Amino acid sequence: MNEAPTAQEIRITRVFDAPRALVWQAWTDPEHLARWWGPRGRTTPVDSITLEIRPGGTFRVGSVSDEHGDDMVTTGTFREVVEPERLVLEEAAEDSWHDGAVSEVRLIELADGRTEMRFRATIHTTEEMIGIAETGINSGFDRLAEQVAAR
Amino acid sequence: MMTTDQLTTTFAALADPTRRAILARLAQGEATVNELAEPFPITLQAVSKHVKVLERAGLIARGRNAQMRPSRLQGTALKQAAEWLGEYREFWDDRFDRLDHHLRDIQRGPRHE
Repeated sequence: MNEAPTAQEIRITRVFDAPRALVWQAWTDPEHLARWWGPRGRTTPVDSITLEIRPGGTFRVGSVSDEHGDDMVTTGTFREVVEPERLVLEEAAEDSWHDGAVSEVRLIELADGRTEMRFRATIHTTEEMIGIAETGINSGFDRLAEQVAAR
Repeated sequence: MMTTDQLTTTFAALADPTRRAILARLAQGEATVNELAEPFPITLQAVSKHVKVLERAGLIARGRNAQMRPSRLQGTALKQAAEWLGEYREFWDDRFDRLDHHLRDIQRGPRHE
């Protein structure tokens, strides 16, 4: 088996009816982030959020399930910070199901005052998860097997 | 398709190395908490807690036998979790829907329901 973790990428482009400075603020101010980080059914307390908006700064967001109180914490490091147009966030592998993920956010001012956001996430999978998936082939988990095999 | 809270619960359940190791063990066949605890330098109670988290996330199911309650992988939920890339995209899409609403809300200013 190949020892290297596999990488997959997702890209999402959105246009927001808001000026770029405000979208930047929504990403970088804990008071804002707490309002949308979510997801539904979970609460993101403002005091669970640490955002050191500088290259090498820490990123930490906690959320609590409203239903059963389980915590989920996302931690990482800001790799790049170019206000107000570019953020690169590297999620730590240790507190996550993946083997590290890098998310890039680009904000582009449109002529009509709106803001285009280009989001790209590169996610690395662990050998362990691939192992679980491969075992799953027999149980019909074929889609994951195809995804991890495609690399 | 899982709801976002289910999805978060699943990702949160998968975020722990001990829980992933438990899943890997269960991929070999069902096992009791005692059997699951063997390879780990942690208490039976701690393993039992991990098993509960996995059960709540729908990743495993436990037998009805009151004494043993062997755990086994739960096909459908694990299959959904296994389609993680699509789910992960969904996860962010949903998050950006909320960002969109948030940006609209704050520009609209305070208003009465």
